[in-house]
Amino acid sequence: MDYLVESLKVSLSLILALDPELCQAVRTSLYVSAWSVVLASLMGIPIGLAVGLTEFPFKRSVITLLNSMMAVPTVLIGLLVYGFVSRQGPFGGLGLLFTPAAIIIGDALLATPIVANLALSSVRGANTAILPTAMTLGGTRFQSVLRLLSEIRFGIMAAVISGFGRVVSEVGVAMMLGGNILGSTRTMTTVIALETSKGEFALGIALGLILMAVALAVNIVFQILQRR
Amino acid sequence: MAPIFRLESVTRHYGERLALEIPELVIEEGGIRSLSGPNGSGKSTLLGILAFLSPPTSGVLYYDGKRVEWKERSLVALRREVTLLHQSPYLFEGSVHANIAFGLGIRGMRGEEKHGRIEESLETVGLGGFGHRRARALSGGETQRVALARALALAPRVLLLDEPLANVDRDSAVVIRAVIAGLPARGTTVIMTTHDPDVPGCSNGEVIRLEEGRLSRSRDEVATGRT
Repeated sequence: MDYLVESLKVSLSLILALDPELCQAVRTSLYVSAWSVVLASLMGIPIGLAVGLTEFPFKRSVITLLNSMMAVPTVLIGLLVYGFVSRQGPFGGLGLLFTPAAIIIGDALLATPIVANLALSSVRGANTAILPTAMTLGGTRFQSVLRLLSEIRFGIMAAVISGFGRVVSEVGVAMMLGGNILGSTRTMTTVIALETSKGEFALGIALGLILMAVALAVNIVFQILQRR
Repeated sequence: MAPIFRLESVTRHYGERLALEIPELVIEEGGIRSLSGPNGSGKSTLLGILAFLSPPTSGVLYYDGKRVEWKERSLVALRREVTLLHQSPYLFEGSVHANIAFGLGIRGMRGEEKHGRIEESLETVGLGGFGHRRARALSGGETQRVALARALALAPRVLLLDEPLANVDRDSAVVIRAVIAGLPARGTTVIMTTHDPDVPGCSNGEVIRLEEGRLSRSRDEVATGRT
């Protein structure tokens, strides 16, 4: 128990001293998570809207597939993207492997089904009168869908935040595609995994605290926006 | 008066169920037309077609003498002349002002002109000064009146009303009746579903009656398919 308490004390001192290794991991984590959630939103929100607002054959199967994709293990996505960006892969020449860009691609693929599913749920839960109302007031299809998006913005924001929560806390993709390179691709979660395997708890605990603080901060911002 | 709508062999199915079947119906421009019939008789379905929101399964709709092509680009222009007020109108999140501004902004109206039109339409429905109110915090009657003001601000050529007096308080009903009665003088043709016998249009015989999706032949003017 003393060992854990001592580790906690050291972790707090690392945070207060703005330890360079810790700051680097936090920056990398936030950078790759932010970009991957932007990409996931650009893909996932239109997918959710398209599935929710149109009727097409095998729609149920597509929804089931989207649901299933939410449960895909991170290591599987890591493996898949690794196959594409490794030297022997079709995109090997781009030199993406073990770069933040590779993590961003993997994390975006991880978060897209989450954002798409939650956006789809928002669309299906929206009042069915929104689109006809916007259209009868003279809106084009595009303007009416924008109006719908505005009406369900909190559901969409929740989708994006869930996607962010997923990627900022995952370790499989970051480890496999980033390679946990100090100063380049080392994220909060890969540092925690590495330090724990070395028996060094302090830095891991410090980053765990920061991870929790990030999650809390994102949710507080969401709550404030919702209240406005 | 020239016909504003003409329907030929129009049907509308929901899955296997036939919701509407109209061999011929001509609606002249001007005045107030009531659309009556029991629940499930196809009134709202017909209004949806006349509002260019849902296409018929088969048949042809003519608007202002021209055949309606159910293509998005041409429908947008038509919808800017014909506005439907739903039975349970949906007010967008935000202020009453923002709700009324939506359709005006789409039509390119800006600044003082837009603001003036919003205030004028609110005054018409007896809700002057309500612009800053939160739309979602209004009572049922106020909601219906704001939705009516939102439609009136657009000065539509045809206003379709689906049970505008359902679920409103007595004061709101008095205002809505008076506003509807004055619309033909402003150049707006009104077609409305209602069970209220005090609404203008219910009393002067200009009634389109539907039963089980078909035009009723109980009245002479409907038997000819012409109102």
